[in-house]
Amino acid sequence: MSDQGIEILLVEDNPDDLEMTLRALRRAKLANHIAVARDGVEALDFIFGQGAYAGRPVDQAPRFILLDLKLPRLDGLEVLRRVKADPRSALIPVVVLTSSKEQPDIRECYRLGVNSYIVKPVDFEKFVGCVVEMGMYWLLLNHPPHV
Amino acid sequence: MPPGPRLGTWNLEIAAWEPGAFVVRGGARKNNMATDQQIKAIRAELAPRSDDTEARERLAAIVNSSEDAIIGKSLAGIITDWNPGAEALFGYTAAEAIGQPMTLIFPPDRIQEEAEILGRVARGESVEHYETVRVRKDGRRVDISVTISPILNREGKIVGASKIARDITERRQMAERQKWLASFPEKNPNPIAEIDVATGRIHYQNPAMTRLFPDLAVRRLGHPCLAGLLAATEALRHGGVDTVRREVEALGRHYSQTITYLRDTNCLRVYATDISERKQSELEIKSLNAELEARVQRRTAELEAANQELEAFSYSVSHDLRAPLRAINGFAGIVLEDYSQQLPPEGRHYLERVRQGGLRMGELIDDLLAFARLGRQPLHRQPVDTALLVGEVLAELNLPATGRPIETRVQDLPACQGDPVLLKQVWINLLANAVKYTRGANPAIVEIGSEPRPDACVYFVRDNGVGFDMQYVNKLFRVFQRLHRADEFEGTGVGLAIVQRVVHRHGGRVWAAAEPGRGATFYFTVEGGPP
Repeated sequence: MSDQGIEILLVEDNPDDLEMTLRALRRAKLANHIAVARDGVEALDFIFGQGAYAGRPVDQAPRFILLDLKLPRLDGLEVLRRVKADPRSALIPVVVLTSSKEQPDIRECYRLGVNSYIVKPVDFEKFVGCVVEMGMYWLLLNHPPHV
Repeated sequence: MPPGPRLGTWNLEIAAWEPGAFVVRGGARKNNMATDQQIKAIRAELAPRSDDTEARERLAAIVNSSEDAIIGKSLAGIITDWNPGAEALFGYTAAEAIGQPMTLIFPPDRIQEEAEILGRVARGESVEHYETVRVRKDGRRVDISVTISPILNREGKIVGASKIARDITERRQMAERQKWLASFPEKNPNPIAEIDVATGRIHYQNPAMTRLFPDLAVRRLGHPCLAGLLAATEALRHGGVDTVRREVEALGRHYSQTITYLRDTNCLRVYATDISERKQSELEIKSLNAELEARVQRRTAELEAANQELEAFSYSVSHDLRAPLRAINGFAGIVLEDYSQQLPPEGRHYLERVRQGGLRMGELIDDLLAFARLGRQPLHRQPVDTALLVGEVLAELNLPATGRPIETRVQDLPACQGDPVLLKQVWINLLANAVKYTRGANPAIVEIGSEPRPDACVYFVRDNGVGFDMQYVNKLFRVFQRLHRADEFEGTGVGLAIVQRVVHRHGGRVWAAAEPGRGATFYFTVEGGPP
């Protein structure tokens, strides 16, 4: 996958959710430059140009990171902590997209500096609507600082 | 005529006397005449003393001024002399006593003493400080100490006895009192001792102390026991405190010692109490407490583990169960969206049912999680303005949006003590139910009120809806239990279970009364009553 001009880093291990998310983004013409990481380690490797992504310039940051919380190896909370703790990545907007409505999760994400917390709707139409709106907002409406 | 000096061994009083001539009183009783022999003896006795009048008067004065009773008696036991001290002690005047037998002042039970005394006197023996009892003229008994000495005449022959008696009633009483007082430490079952700080010598130890430390007396300075005592009483001996209390163990028993310091004599007084039983009880209580504490900790740990498990379970349900649901719902939706044209209407219908099933399960999961959360959430009690709370809930339910004629009648609602967030959930669920189950009523009437109770707030929500059969009332508050079919009234069957759990956590009660077709009333109490 070319990592030139990546706009969204999608961190998602569930193939169903991944497929539905990609489909929704594709339908909304928002899926041209998406990188996918299937666990927390892969996400950090991509962000910091290490491991499987060794040599990838760190300054080519995605426009935003779409992060699931429950991930194999390194979970989403840990990814969020490391991204926000590192000055090279701290300014990248992170949107948590998760099944969890649990208050402790929400609170911990905000404590770590999450930019947005979205609960995946069970209803398919709502899910599609949610992904599309979210993509539009962060890619078109929102003005991030230059990293 | 004033009484003159008496002649010691003779029962004669010299009534008048000048060199060469004297008149005597007393003496031989038969004819009141002195015999020649007597006169000779008197003369012999007086002759060398007549030069010595002053000395004799001095002696007489001493005898007369003595507080001790000084009595003379003959060998036959007849009183011959009786000084003012004797008058004071026994109550008889000299005139009354002289000539009487000595047994005049003997109590009946001691009469035999006289024979013994006379016997000893006759043998020339003295009786010194003999303690006995005599009877006064007024009948009172008096304790005396008496010294009896034989009186010898010029020839060295025993002719009588002198008896010096002293009142020792007070002394004896004091001795008895002293003995009585001493019996307190002596008979005290608690060990007591007085120890000389400078030498380590034991001045006193009561029998209880001796029983405990038979060798206490041989302990001296430098003995660890005494060294410990001195160390413990440092502050006591240098002022600052009045007593020191400490606990010591000796021969397997526990003692509480109270120690005082006598500055004048540089002595320590140790009063010990055996506290072994108390100590034993304390140990037992301590061990029971420790056991209880351990049990509480174990239970708490178990509870925490159970809670954590529940938390993990909830998390898992929340996260893992939703994902496949989303897949079922999502891919059914995608098929409907992308391949609707290729599907016969029946196929589309079934796929729609798949989606609806998934959605329904999503709702059930959400409600179940909400219900589980209520059990874990801490209760934040505070005064709750119920009238205000109910107003808020009614506004949030947005009744006009239903498009139905719904009349709400809100009575006075007293405030209560509770968790406002949780109580709000109770009101939401009860009022939403009332709105839901009055769907067929025109107009729907929802009444909200309270009934006064002394110890609790009783609130109720009454509606004129479909009601229910009271024979199923016990199912009403159970999770996922419903009294109506899903196609009649939507719902998951968790709302009233939540109401019950919140009310129970507030220490209250919830119950319902209803009749099919005639509405239902739900009551609940909040313990503690108005704030």
